[in-house]
Amino acid sequence: MTIQKTQHDDVPSMSIGSRLRSASHSLRPQRAGVVYALVLLVLILVITTVAIGQPAYLSSINISNILGQVAPDAILAVFMTVVLISGNFDLSVASVAALSAAIALETIDKIGTVPAILLALAVGAVVGVANAILVQKVGVNAFIVTLGAMTAVRGVVLIVLNGESVTAKSQALVTIDDVVLGIPFWVGALVGIGLIAIAVFRFRQARRSTALPLDGFFVALIIAGILMLIVSFAAPDLLTQPLPVWIMVFVTVAVSLGLRFLVPGRKLYAVGSNPEAARLSGINVNFYKMAPFVLSGIAAAAVGLVYAGRFNSVDPNALTGTELTVIAAAILGGTSLFGGAGYVGKSVLGTVILFTLSNGFNMLNLGSNYQYVVQGVVLIAASAVYTVASRSRNRRKLADSAPTPAPTAALGSE
Amino acid sequence: MVVVPPSTLAIRNITKTYPGGTQALRGVSLSLRAGIVHGLVGANGAGKSTLIKIIAGAERPTTGELVWLGRSTDWRRPADAQSAGVAVVHQQSPVVPALSVLENVYLGNETTGLWKPQDRISEFAALCERVAFEIDPHTIVAELSVGDRQMVSILRALAQNPALILLDEPTASISPAERAGVLGAARSLAAAGVAVVFVSHFLNEVMQICDEVSVLRDGQLVDEFDRDGMSVERMVAGIVGSRLHAVEAVKPTHDIGEVVLDVRELQSTGMNSPVSLQVRRGEIVGIAGLLGSGRTSLLKAIFGADHRVGGEVVVNGHPLSASPQAGVAGGLALVPEDRMSQGLIGDWEIWRNTSLADSRELSRRFRILDVARERLLASRARRELGIVAPSIDTLVKDLSGGNAQKVVFAKWIYKTHHVLLLDEPTAGVDVAGKADLIKLIRDLAERGIGILVVLSEFEELLSLVDRVVVLRHGAIETEFSADAVSVADLTASVGGLA
Repeated sequence: MTIQKTQHDDVPSMSIGSRLRSASHSLRPQRAGVVYALVLLVLILVITTVAIGQPAYLSSINISNILGQVAPDAILAVFMTVVLISGNFDLSVASVAALSAAIALETIDKIGTVPAILLALAVGAVVGVANAILVQKVGVNAFIVTLGAMTAVRGVVLIVLNGESVTAKSQALVTIDDVVLGIPFWVGALVGIGLIAIAVFRFRQARRSTALPLDGFFVALIIAGILMLIVSFAAPDLLTQPLPVWIMVFVTVAVSLGLRFLVPGRKLYAVGSNPEAARLSGINVNFYKMAPFVLSGIAAAAVGLVYAGRFNSVDPNALTGTELTVIAAAILGGTSLFGGAGYVGKSVLGTVILFTLSNGFNMLNLGSNYQYVVQGVVLIAASAVYTVASRSRNRRKLADSAPTPAPTAALGSE
Repeated sequence: MVVVPPSTLAIRNITKTYPGGTQALRGVSLSLRAGIVHGLVGANGAGKSTLIKIIAGAERPTTGELVWLGRSTDWRRPADAQSAGVAVVHQQSPVVPALSVLENVYLGNETTGLWKPQDRISEFAALCERVAFEIDPHTIVAELSVGDRQMVSILRALAQNPALILLDEPTASISPAERAGVLGAARSLAAAGVAVVFVSHFLNEVMQICDEVSVLRDGQLVDEFDRDGMSVERMVAGIVGSRLHAVEAVKPTHDIGEVVLDVRELQSTGMNSPVSLQVRRGEIVGIAGLLGSGRTSLLKAIFGADHRVGGEVVVNGHPLSASPQAGVAGGLALVPEDRMSQGLIGDWEIWRNTSLADSRELSRRFRILDVARERLLASRARRELGIVAPSIDTLVKDLSGGNAQKVVFAKWIYKTHHVLLLDEPTAGVDVAGKADLIKLIRDLAERGIGILVVLSEFEELLSLVDRVVVLRHGAIETEFSADAVSVADLTASVGGLA
């Protein structure tokens, strides 16, 4: 027993195979399902468009088009994921975004750009704080609180707009959506090389048996690095995108890294997994349950500003139903509705899937009537795949143990 | 030699290797015979539960053979074993609370689609007679005590008319008074010609009812004996092996320093009368009290987990405000009663759990997690506390009770703290694990930590602590030096008899 243990601890290097094996766990369907779904969907669309003689589906223009549409909802999905990880739920985001847009457009000509933007963001924060207090301090169920907030805030939108749409004279908000920023292809290439270099570094680090086993983060680094290289050399015009797309990229990367590498990220997952154990370990559970609502409120307000800039006009029913798209995206990305599990990057991919679906319907002239049916079916199918895949894995684990041959071999291997 | 009856179930040289490489069983052979109560004992992690699962058909052995009534079998699922004639009663067997006793006993065993209770009453009476148990078949199960529910589970197993009945810790969650009924039932079943397997941590019960005993340790059968060779000492020796000395070691004398925890007139939402007590550095103070005497509430109030109504908690000279955060920051640590729901995150690895209470100190500047340091700490804890797990990346929910409890301790002891509050630290932990934990608690006191511990087993409590505080109805009744009080006196005092 002791001999085995010292052997285990002192082994200086893990074999390349065992490192790759632990990294490959993240490629299982219940982990990386959202990636496979996206690849499959894009493949179908590429083949179909070629078959019926439409313009190439993966053209830079079409990809940019999709990214532009995805950006606002993807930002919402990032923060929705944060709320879901904390073990809560926020249905009010779309109403808050609409209210933010309405307030900004109503006031921008009167009080100036910066005050209007700050006011809109403050309103988002206030709704977030109200949600947080009602859920965490008063103890009302998050579904009910935010369903109420969704309805009530939509009511405020109607009051603010007096039932009519509003258009601002100031073009300041339009620039948010219109500004286009590009990076030279060599910067993109360097970023790609950098990502792969970090991956290689981590791979070398993982040879120590005491190091953290390689996981999905390692795989994501490699895939992101390769994609950056391909884009930089094959389609450098994709490196020029409007501001909202860059915001989406920044928010996704920043929140992902924060959740993984910072103490508050770890604590957020702890609070979502087991609030009582977290509380009795001295973690400020109230803070980690409440802060996500406030963040979500502010982010929703910011997305409202992007939306306001897109049309420089907003009508009372703007963004209706977006909260469901955003939650659907998070679920497609494998986020747990019970808290403690989820990755913002996968939720963004979930958003991309939903928009690729509707974009594909337009490209193929299939009529938008079927769109919701397909989105609904995809959502349920995704959840079913996650559930069944993890269940059958457990079963396989049991079955595997039956036909193992000589027990001495197994003794020596571990 | 008398004629040995043929085996109902013969287990021949069974091994079990899990996909992760864990060898749960390394060649076990057993013979379970009709009319015999066969005791199966062993520490958590010794392979007992794997063996039980194999007998119940829930798992298949890796190698080896099961011979049922003379024929080799290969049960693939519990239903196979059940239809062959194996019935299982677990520690807390599921019963349907909304149904009557009679309905529960015949649940899933109705012969016709139409349920006619009157046809089953006489059958039911016969079952009850076999185990010498009396109950109104029409009582709703929700109204029964835990012990009576356990009897319903046994009746239900019996209704399948099994040739072998497996009792897996059937008395663990029921009161001592009700245990007699369950034990009697096991004996009468054997007398009626059923092969009975009795699995228990309570060695006195094993002594009382078993005809033969098998001791498992590290996946192997280390000792077997029948009534003639049976003794508690022999069982304990088999179960713990060389670790026995740790339990028997005399209480070390240690230096007791200045007051480190001073509780003054503390009142909380869970505790209505004010409580005052002091714990010194290096001192182990026990809290003795019956269930509902406010033991857990007192610890929670000190830690700040319950809302404080009045009074003060002073640690190391600093008064603490009433919240777990303030408690942890001030040097308090709590090992809660229910480790899985209050102490650990089951879905997380060992290493993320051991740094749960300490993620700020275990991080770099700008609150960046220092994973390498966290993992070093977990490896150290695994080595020093003897946490038995394939690696520090093992999920905590896959650990046995004793090992999970060691992870809860590891969460606190590598962090600066002055007072450790322990709520039933050894509950659900096997003999060997208990020995480790008790040694650990003593070592911590040695290092100058003040320890306040709630323990229901008074013998264990008295062997551990320096001083006992008796709690009754949420108030401190009296206090004893551990050397000056016997288990009997303490029991009497706790129950209000002295």
